[in-house]
Amino acid sequence: MHAVSYTAQWMAAARALESERDDALYTDPLARELAAPKGFELIERYEGGGLLPFISIRTKYLDDAISSALADGGIDQVVLIAAGMDTRAFRLDWPEDVTVYEADHGPLIEEKRRRLDALGAVPRTDRREVPADLTGPWMPELHKAGFDPSRPTLWVAEALTFFLTEEQAGELLRLLAAESAPGSRLAFDILGRALLRSPFSKPFLDQLAADGTPWIFGTDEPEEFVRAHGWKVTDLTEPGEPGAGEGRWPYQVQPRSRRGANRLWLISAESVAG
Amino acid sequence: MSSSVDTQGIDKVRDWILGRHPDRTELAPDVNIIENRLVDSLAFVELVYAIEDASGREIDFDAIDVEDFQSLATIERAFFS
Repeated sequence: MHAVSYTAQWMAAARALESERDDALYTDPLARELAAPKGFELIERYEGGGLLPFISIRTKYLDDAISSALADGGIDQVVLIAAGMDTRAFRLDWPEDVTVYEADHGPLIEEKRRRLDALGAVPRTDRREVPADLTGPWMPELHKAGFDPSRPTLWVAEALTFFLTEEQAGELLRLLAAESAPGSRLAFDILGRALLRSPFSKPFLDQLAADGTPWIFGTDEPEEFVRAHGWKVTDLTEPGEPGAGEGRWPYQVQPRSRRGANRLWLISAESVAG
Repeated sequence: MSSSVDTQGIDKVRDWILGRHPDRTELAPDVNIIENRLVDSLAFVELVYAIEDASGREIDFDAIDVEDFQSLATIERAFFS
């Protein structure tokens, strides 16, 4: 499997650990089986630095963003981009007639299907696999799976943008905007630029790079970045803020004006016409 | 500059670190706070702010030298002398 597939197992391991807590922010009963073989090893390898609480808080934030985006019934198709070992189609309460597309590269999708089948997992909505190389033109594959660009969409890109360059992240947002009917929404995360440049993050970042999964893109001006690529931020949250792991986040939330702060942006956005 | 003021400054930094670790009551000047994970990568920015508050000096984030932040002794030498 690709190195990024191991990242998917790492995320699954983190979700398994979260699910087993007394104060779990969510429960993902399938996560433990999806984390093998490398997930828990990577948890230890990348231990510390707030990663585990961040992964949990981000997952919960996006769970909430999905439920909020679908609440008024205006959106009935959801695309999980680079879905990895995401099990939202199996664990969230979906409104009727919602289609969930899971896009990721073929070998990962096959391995995930094999494991979910072995567990007898049954999706709670119309779930469609979209095997695609996300570094190439993948929209044709999404359309082939039934996606309808004339209807509003909720795009979810969890733990994705930092694996891209700034240019690629911008292109992705533009591509999603171009495929978005009015009323479409986007929920995702962006890392802070200071965080990626901090000498104190360097040992961890060097480790990720050596493992073939470097973290590259981050910005401390997410509103501008999002706006420049066809979207408008409707919610911008940092871990530790109310509704985003308040009480679980072991760091202070820094005022926006504070120089040098390590930012982890949780973002909801709406498409901008034109 | 009186040495008592300097001592007070580094004491504030020590108190800040100990405040994050209720299980610890002491922190010797030469204990490596990074290797011992007393301050992790995300908490470091808070340490920098704590040093700024205690020293009254602004720290340039673009010119940070990790070596200055290894222990209370190196912090004292870099920011309180």
